[in-house]
Amino acid sequence: MKRAITAVWVVLRKELSDALRDRRTLATVLVSSVLMGPLVLLAISGLVASLESRAEQREVYVAGLANAPTLRNFLERHTYVVKEAPADFEARLRRSTFTDPVVVVPADFEAALVRGDVPVVEIVSDSANKQSQASTSRIERLLGGFSRERALLSLALRGVSAQLLEPMQIEDRDLASMQTRATRITGMLPYFVMMAVLYGALNAALDTTAGERERGSLEPLLMNPTERWALVAGKWGAVACVSVLIAVLSCFSFLPGQWMLRSDTLAAMFQYGPREAGLFILILLPLAAALAAVLMAVAIRSRSFKEAQASSTIVVLAISLLPLVNVFDLGGEAPWHLWAPALAQNTLMTRVLKGEALGLEQVLIPLAVCIALTAIGVGYVARELHRAAVK
Amino acid sequence: MIEVRGLAKSFAAPGRGRGAGWRSLTGSLRAKSAGAAPAVPAAAPRVHAVRDVSFDAPNGRITGLLGPNGAGKTTTLRMLAALITPEAGTMRVDGIDVVARPRDVLARMGVLSDSRGLYPRLTARENIVYYGALHGMEREAADARAQDLARMFEMTALLDRRAAGFSQGERMKTALVRALVHDPANIVLDEPTNGLDVLATRALRDSLRWLRSPEGGAKCIVFSTHIMQEVERLCDSVVVVAHGRTVATGTVPELLAETDERDFEEAFVKLAFVAERAGAGAAP
Repeated sequence: MKRAITAVWVVLRKELSDALRDRRTLATVLVSSVLMGPLVLLAISGLVASLESRAEQREVYVAGLANAPTLRNFLERHTYVVKEAPADFEARLRRSTFTDPVVVVPADFEAALVRGDVPVVEIVSDSANKQSQASTSRIERLLGGFSRERALLSLALRGVSAQLLEPMQIEDRDLASMQTRATRITGMLPYFVMMAVLYGALNAALDTTAGERERGSLEPLLMNPTERWALVAGKWGAVACVSVLIAVLSCFSFLPGQWMLRSDTLAAMFQYGPREAGLFILILLPLAAALAAVLMAVAIRSRSFKEAQASSTIVVLAISLLPLVNVFDLGGEAPWHLWAPALAQNTLMTRVLKGEALGLEQVLIPLAVCIALTAIGVGYVARELHRAAVK
Repeated sequence: MIEVRGLAKSFAAPGRGRGAGWRSLTGSLRAKSAGAAPAVPAAAPRVHAVRDVSFDAPNGRITGLLGPNGAGKTTTLRMLAALITPEAGTMRVDGIDVVARPRDVLARMGVLSDSRGLYPRLTARENIVYYGALHGMEREAADARAQDLARMFEMTALLDRRAAGFSQGERMKTALVRALVHDPANIVLDEPTNGLDVLATRALRDSLRWLRSPEGGAKCIVFSTHIMQEVERLCDSVVVVAHGRTVATGTVPELLAETDERDFEEAFVKLAFVAERAGAGAAP
């Protein structure tokens, strides 16, 4: 037994140093999974910042400004800068070269207003032009204010109480805490971290199984007096270590990433510190172990690295798609989420980001699932090893 | 010392793997639902790689396993290395049964198998020391042994280079040293001269002679080949294998006398050809 444990250690050390020498693959994984997350975060923060600055600019573009001195007066009283829209605004909105919605005022606006003819004012935006779409509701509220003001004035002139117009009052009360709201933006963070775990494990798992077969080094390896399970355990340990290493790098890469956030609101909402990073890693450890075992089990049947890549696509796809159940918020959190690997980890990490506590059940179920998957995967590889070597 | 008695092994014929299994399964289900007696599944075509191989390889001798391609040499050696389980027969290495105690046997045996892949990102030394460590050696001891063997096979300059750029001969030498790192009493080599040039082949021959000698440890050496000269120049005894059977055993002069030939190649063709006819006659 002692000898077998020494053998596990020997295999693990060799596989680790072998995997870490595969610099090109490691570099690709690092760039794609470790750098990508913070970069996307930065891009989103840039977008949010530009939306915020647009909101702060308080500008309104109006086509036919000269037709509506009353509206202009209202807008300017609300400290908006009113600008005449460019003549070709429709074409430019379609091409996304113009990013503000435009208020179109008809020629007889003032006269119709006085006559009580209800003139039609258009707010023109392009729903394919996301940025113009974003400020539409702000302009709508603004114009609604103008309508209400006109109505109130008319009623007041006739001696009617303004409350008749608004028999009830509507007020928004958002139950979401600051952190919960933030997860709508930071919700993609667990996804990126999980992809890092997956791609960290993928190459190493394929290399120690199908790669070993392709090189013809599996047959001589099995001619050593080492127990099969010790060989597999060592290999599995090394793959899981590489995967965890990439996960740790990925988790911590968001720490400096958030310092560069360009949006102050986003930076204030983004609750991700060393504590969250640490919890993320604890949540991901079992997933890394299970993924390593499952990928090895899938790859051991393949004769070459290329064949293994093809057959591991299913695992990669499942791990990439399952968390999307959370991202798209399909039906909220359901109990079965905790039983699905990747989805469970995503749920747990989202809870950490929301600042919610993790219950015992929520920790134990995914852990048990991962342990079971690991045992099945490692057992299967150990069983198939000899058959794989001679085929 | 290696003793092999009545070894046999067959495989399912390639190319009719899962599909054939599926067809036979659905076929038998259909037969069952039709009310027919559950028929004995029709015998799937099998390739009899080894039918009856026996030989003795004593210590301090080089035993050659000579046979044409596809004679069953590699399958025999794979069974000897406990990689596949034989269907019949016994194998003992230093008196230990291979099937019952495979790990004890592997600890006393150095095998250079048919596939001899190295780890390209490790240096030759790391490749060798890894196997030493798997045999339970201390790293220092394995390293010292690697150094000694490298001197013997004239590959000291290779030791600290990564295996990725090795030539076939260099890979071969590294694999050989890797198989010998734990100083095994029994050495099994599957076509060791494949891909070696004349000088390397000569060096290998010299090394094997030394390993056979009392000062080299009087090892029991078994090697398979299809090259006559190797056998003539090196082997103390020859086991001729054809169509999965041992067809002749003896020293080179004995085999020449048996076939009444002066040229060993002629003798071999005679032995293998006769066996082929016998094998063809015996085949179902």
